[in-house]
Amino acid sequence: MTARQIMTADEIRRALVRISHEVVERHGGTADLALVGVQRRGVPLATRLALDIAEHEGVTVPVGALDITFYRDDLSLVAHQPIVKGTDLPFDPNGLTLVIVDDVLYTGRTVRAAMDALMDFGRPRAIRLAVLIDRGHRELPIRADHVGKNVPTSREEVIRVHLLEVDGDDQVEIDRLGAEVALA
Amino acid sequence: MSLSADPQAPPISSGAEPATDALVDRGWRHRHLLDVAGLDEPDLDLVMRTADEMRGILARPIPKVPALRGISVTILFYEASTRTRVSFEVAAKNLSADVVNIAAASSSVAKGESLIDTVRTVEALGADVLVMRHGRSGASDLAARVFSGHVVNGGDGWHAHPTQALLDLYTLRDHLPDGDLHGRKIVIVGDILHSRVARSNIWSLTTAGADLWLCGPATLLRGFEPLAAALPASRRLTVTTSIDAALAGADAVMALRLQQERMSGGLLPSLREYAARYQLNAARMVGAAPDAIVLHPGPMNEGVEIASDLAAGGRSVITEQVANGVAVRMAVLYLLTGGRTTETADG
Amino acid sequence: MVAAVGEVVASLALERVWLVDPAAGREGVAALRIEDGRIAALAWLPEDTGPTPTTLVLPGLTDLHVHAREPGDEDAETVATAMAAAAHGGFTCICLMPNTRPPIDTAAAVGQLRAAATASQTPIRVEIIAAITAGRAGAGLAPMAELADAGAVAFSDDGAPVGDAALMRHALAYAGALARPIVEHAEDRALTDGAEMHDGVAATILGLRGWPAAAEAAAVARAIAILEEVARAAPADAAPRLHLTHLSTGAAADLVRAAKATGLAVTCDVTPHHLVMHDGWVAGDRRWAWQAIADPWAGGPTEALPYDTATRVNPPLRPPADAAALAAALRDGTIDAIATDHAPHTDVAKDVEYGDAANGISGLETALGQLLAAVDAGVLDLPTVVRALTVGPDRVLGSAGAGLVVGAPADLVVVDRAGSWLVDATSLRTLGHNTPLLGRDLPGRVLMTLAAGRWAWIAGGETR
Repeated sequence: MTARQIMTADEIRRALVRISHEVVERHGGTADLALVGVQRRGVPLATRLALDIAEHEGVTVPVGALDITFYRDDLSLVAHQPIVKGTDLPFDPNGLTLVIVDDVLYTGRTVRAAMDALMDFGRPRAIRLAVLIDRGHRELPIRADHVGKNVPTSREEVIRVHLLEVDGDDQVEIDRLGAEVALA
Repeated sequence: MSLSADPQAPPISSGAEPATDALVDRGWRHRHLLDVAGLDEPDLDLVMRTADEMRGILARPIPKVPALRGISVTILFYEASTRTRVSFEVAAKNLSADVVNIAAASSSVAKGESLIDTVRTVEALGADVLVMRHGRSGASDLAARVFSGHVVNGGDGWHAHPTQALLDLYTLRDHLPDGDLHGRKIVIVGDILHSRVARSNIWSLTTAGADLWLCGPATLLRGFEPLAAALPASRRLTVTTSIDAALAGADAVMALRLQQERMSGGLLPSLREYAARYQLNAARMVGAAPDAIVLHPGPMNEGVEIASDLAAGGRSVITEQVANGVAVRMAVLYLLTGGRTTETADG
Repeated sequence: MVAAVGEVVASLALERVWLVDPAAGREGVAALRIEDGRIAALAWLPEDTGPTPTTLVLPGLTDLHVHAREPGDEDAETVATAMAAAAHGGFTCICLMPNTRPPIDTAAAVGQLRAAATASQTPIRVEIIAAITAGRAGAGLAPMAELADAGAVAFSDDGAPVGDAALMRHALAYAGALARPIVEHAEDRALTDGAEMHDGVAATILGLRGWPAAAEAAAVARAIAILEEVARAAPADAAPRLHLTHLSTGAAADLVRAAKATGLAVTCDVTPHHLVMHDGWVAGDRRWAWQAIADPWAGGPTEALPYDTATRVNPPLRPPADAAALAAALRDGTIDAIATDHAPHTDVAKDVEYGDAANGISGLETALGQLLAAVDAGVLDLPTVVRALTVGPDRVLGSAGAGLVVGAPADLVVVDRAGSWLVDATSLRTLGHNTPLLGRDLPGRVLMTLAAGRWAWIAGGETR
């Protein structure tokens, strides 16, 4: 096993609490704010952030789920994966500040696709980005507003985020590409 | 799929079982869609799930995604057909593909240009996907031999109409409990002999586990009894000339269009006799399951194979079939051109 | 050895070969020597206890049914290319069918074909089958006596049956007086209108218009009944003879067996492709008939692509059970001959939708290989196959060659039984590449064909 743990469950929890504070601070409140989790693991992360915000602000911010599959460009094709669950935005995005939530920020193409998708639903006032891990190697001019942990990586490495809701446990691992058995 | 305002509420439900990484699906492995006979249950399932996605897109204010941007789809129909042709065109455009429509009025032989030459021309003009309908069985197989892109069979002779079978399956899953066809009695009534819709449905419905019945006058059922006998036991196919036996307890009934030409071929004495013995109407449907649904691939000869009130009534899902056709064709175009519904591992 | 096609065989020694001579009723190890075009020596070696030789020697084969497409469709084949293909296939005699454009229904037309044969490079024997009806139109008789005088050995409207039963009756009677057989293409056209492949499970699945076996059985029964009637009433010196060509169904073979049992002068032939292929080939199955018989194709993946127009033929490929019945009929003598029904077509005629493709399989060069595959599988034995390609056709035509005897002109074919050859555009001599065997290896390789003492085919060393 060449995998190495880089975030424990507690570290994830603390990072999310910090991000939840930052989001509200940056926005100056919770009015006209919504979180949009990118399928798959961005969704439970967004839900947890909403719960954290509710705890310290007493307000529940709406959470949506976004499937960006139909907006990918060719270069980000990934081999066989479970089929995704779809898009559900239970709010009108017009005039809102949307915070895109995802687990890992890498080339930036997913976020670009997410922005394209959101634009098809309406005209948000602003779009921000919160990620658990930023691993570098951006191919597009995209920057996260809120980062759980910066992890410099090489292209031969892969980041695996485990979340209770999806994987049964909470942790983040880094491993060598090709050493994996199950795809993340 | 929605989040309640209650912070104690469970996290957002994705509508599917909590999927783990173990639920890997193979993805789509077929270059063409010429036939449903070559699709197994996982393939059918993938199309159904992708069509669900597409139906979600169709429900949006802007029912369009850029998934097939830059892909050129040529629709080449040698037989007149408005609904299927338009359905494919709408499907392609909803995925942001570029669409070229060619309506060849007659067979290539009569026209003077061979099918192979026409396909080569279409390819030279940049088509990535060729959607074809033709009066000869095997025509799309021939096109697939010479076309370097992807071929979708929009109907070839009596042989196959895969997207129709897929949208029929999709519609049935919407209405049957748990979307499960296993053990459900599904009946197709009409001119089975000349029907590519029937032939394709035989494969898709028996693959999905249905108990399929074919019913019609003996002259229009020729050859299907030996076919039923030759199929493996896992494919349940019954052939009968008795409409009452067919409809008894049926969960879904599909009527096929009966064409006037059959009379001149000596296959039937008259449309009147056919309607008297085989027309789907409310009276006959009494023997079917209480919530049995009625399908028809269209266009309908109301008053012949189906009574108008049944076609428009509560059991009918015919208009849904049309809407589902767009979603299913979007799914097919998406899967063929290499799209996979995946999750990003990278960001 | 350096030799050219057409030249007299100066000298050839075949030391230790497996000789099959149905006329002598014998097969075994033998040695032959040919000098100056004649068999100088022939010795059977029964004391030979060495390993079975892998070189086969057979009498030159006869093909009763060849379409040479000349005049009218020389793009598909000419008399010359058909003769070259025949020699490659081991045939030293071929019979040309008259459904050319225009058809062979005058003495002049017969003469032209003879001239084309003489002018070709290949020294094999060519016989002409002339039309039964004028213009093959099925309305009135062709000038049969004139045609017989010009050299026609039989009459046929092949490609079509003689639709009018009354005219068929007259034709049988008239040709009987000329001691020539009527070669009937037995097909009830009312049942085959628009048909594309055999009417069975494969057709139902593929959505192709079916060609019912009944169309052949009904036509064969009719022809036999008419023959019986004509035979009953004919003058003693004008006994009618009926030859049913390219039978494809067990039912038809049963009818012939019963007719022969009553002493009727009916003969019949079967094609190699109806013995070894089956209707599953239209769907892309490539198992031989004997491999598929226990489990005929009924949906599911296949080796080749479906709707290969090279499988479209009249009569159509039938289910494996029919192929087996035909093989049995060959073994019990019901079927007299194997004839290829060599039907070359241009790519233009075949590279179209299945239902629009011309009917026909190009078969002169692949006949022996297909039959040897059947022999290898134990479905047929070699002497039966060779008899059906030599003695059998000779009897149908009422002719007989000199045979493999000392002093006779050398008319034989030498086959490398252990070898094989790849059927492809470079190896075929026919212009018609329309065979579903393209790209396949067939057992047995023809090394030499000698026709009436001359070189007709030399593998690898041929000069033109």
